[in-house]
Amino acid sequence: MAAMGVVAAYTHIHVTEVFSSKSMELKWVRTRITKTSHFNKNKEKNLSTPLLPVYISTNPRHVVPQQLQDLCSTCNHSFQRFPDTSEPVDINKLRIALSHSDVLVSVFCKPNIVDELGKSSFSIVDFLSPVSPSRDLLVGFGRAVSDFGLTASIYDLMVIPSLRRMGIGKIIVKKIVRMLTNRDIYDIAALCSEDERLFFKACGFAGDILDSTTMMYTRTASSATHEGGQAFTRAGQKLLLIPPLIKRH
Amino acid sequence: MLTLNLNALSSSFSIVPFHVNYSLFTQTQTQLLAPTNLNYPFLNTATRKFKTFQLKAGFWESIKSGLTKNNTIQVIDPELAEEEDEEPLPQEFVLVEKTEPDGTIEQITFSSGGDIDVYDLQALCDKVGWPRRPLSKLAAALKNSYMVACLYSIRKSPGSEGNEQKILIGMARATSDHAFNATIWDVLVDPGYQGQGLGKALVEKLIRALLQRDIGNITLFADSKVVEFYRNLGFEADPEGIKGMFWYPTN
Repeated sequence: MAAMGVVAAYTHIHVTEVFSSKSMELKWVRTRITKTSHFNKNKEKNLSTPLLPVYISTNPRHVVPQQLQDLCSTCNHSFQRFPDTSEPVDINKLRIALSHSDVLVSVFCKPNIVDELGKSSFSIVDFLSPVSPSRDLLVGFGRAVSDFGLTASIYDLMVIPSLRRMGIGKIIVKKIVRMLTNRDIYDIAALCSEDERLFFKACGFAGDILDSTTMMYTRTASSATHEGGQAFTRAGQKLLLIPPLIKRH
Repeated sequence: MLTLNLNALSSSFSIVPFHVNYSLFTQTQTQLLAPTNLNYPFLNTATRKFKTFQLKAGFWESIKSGLTKNNTIQVIDPELAEEEDEEPLPQEFVLVEKTEPDGTIEQITFSSGGDIDVYDLQALCDKVGWPRRPLSKLAAALKNSYMVACLYSIRKSPGSEGNEQKILIGMARATSDHAFNATIWDVLVDPGYQGQGLGKALVEKLIRALLQRDIGNITLFADSKVVEFYRNLGFEADPEGIKGMFWYPTN
């Protein structure tokens, strides 16, 4: 009984700590209405779909590598640009990448809410109970790497399939951009494939004004001339040729 | 009413009681024990609390894992992350050595990881014709890039001892997250020294350093005039439909 009392005391402190605006932010999202439902009037539309509480955090300590790995598998997202097999991303590499990312944004949601998306109302306890990154589900993630001065690049944006089309991705991007512009970094790049292009366009990204071409290093074994002692390295399905050591004069 | 709610909540916490106060302790203690002997440029900024978190995690996790029955907590071994994470070793060597008719020796040296003078860099940017950028931003960008490779021209006139002229004639830098992705920015070579393969050497050195660390996604944004230059180095334009988009603030 004493132990329970002690736990309750700690709980009390923890509640006030979690709700500090720096670490966690509560956002309400709802499913976007598809264009087919024209017959609904505006007022009725807003009331019909349920609001879902999600928690946005920019605190890098809230990202647990194992959870992120699971999220990647769920979203079928690979960290390699041209993935080899659908094997999970290497967790040690993930840890290194996370520690060197300038901005990390993670979105959490209570697991019972994720499972019961069709429910129309949620009890007040769901709203009040504090969110702990270790207990709640990581449902969205995004990170950016920058040089703290001039440029930044956004990588690995993902949201679980069941919570897509709700504006969560857009919130993540906006958060990342906001954090970067607060530090006076305005040259923000994002690599995207054909399907993601529309999404980034809606977030305020566009093709380069100077019309620069995006290029990636893809020199593989087949395209290079065959010399003895060529070194290669694996990057997903690509076997990249390491340029020889420069030997001059 | 509120107290009733708290009791209800605490019962749900009974499964993992120590998780509640875990983050409380790390919160207070991260500021104290920031390792300063590690050679990471990022550690000076406030955003590097993640590194200290890993070191503290070992201590508290080991206590917790012994006490809780439902032990799903992974004890993160901090040493493992530190060993693999090394910055590229700085190198310096002579690329080309020329002797001019009047006897002066000109050496073109390659240097990586060295300190560049921002004023030299700005002078070089002016020579190439690039727009001027704020010096403080340039300095911060250079300090926090994964690798900065530069070319110097050192002229030694015969007879005089040690009267060397060291001029910055080329630079290339890359930013990376040290694990998966890297982007090469700002490749420039003094117009008077272009066409000799120096730019190619700069970029190849960067690629080599990145690939040796298994950083597979190397990207860059090329102006239309230099697309061919990069294609010869092994870069492919818009591979498999991947394009880079930039953020433009709209009103």
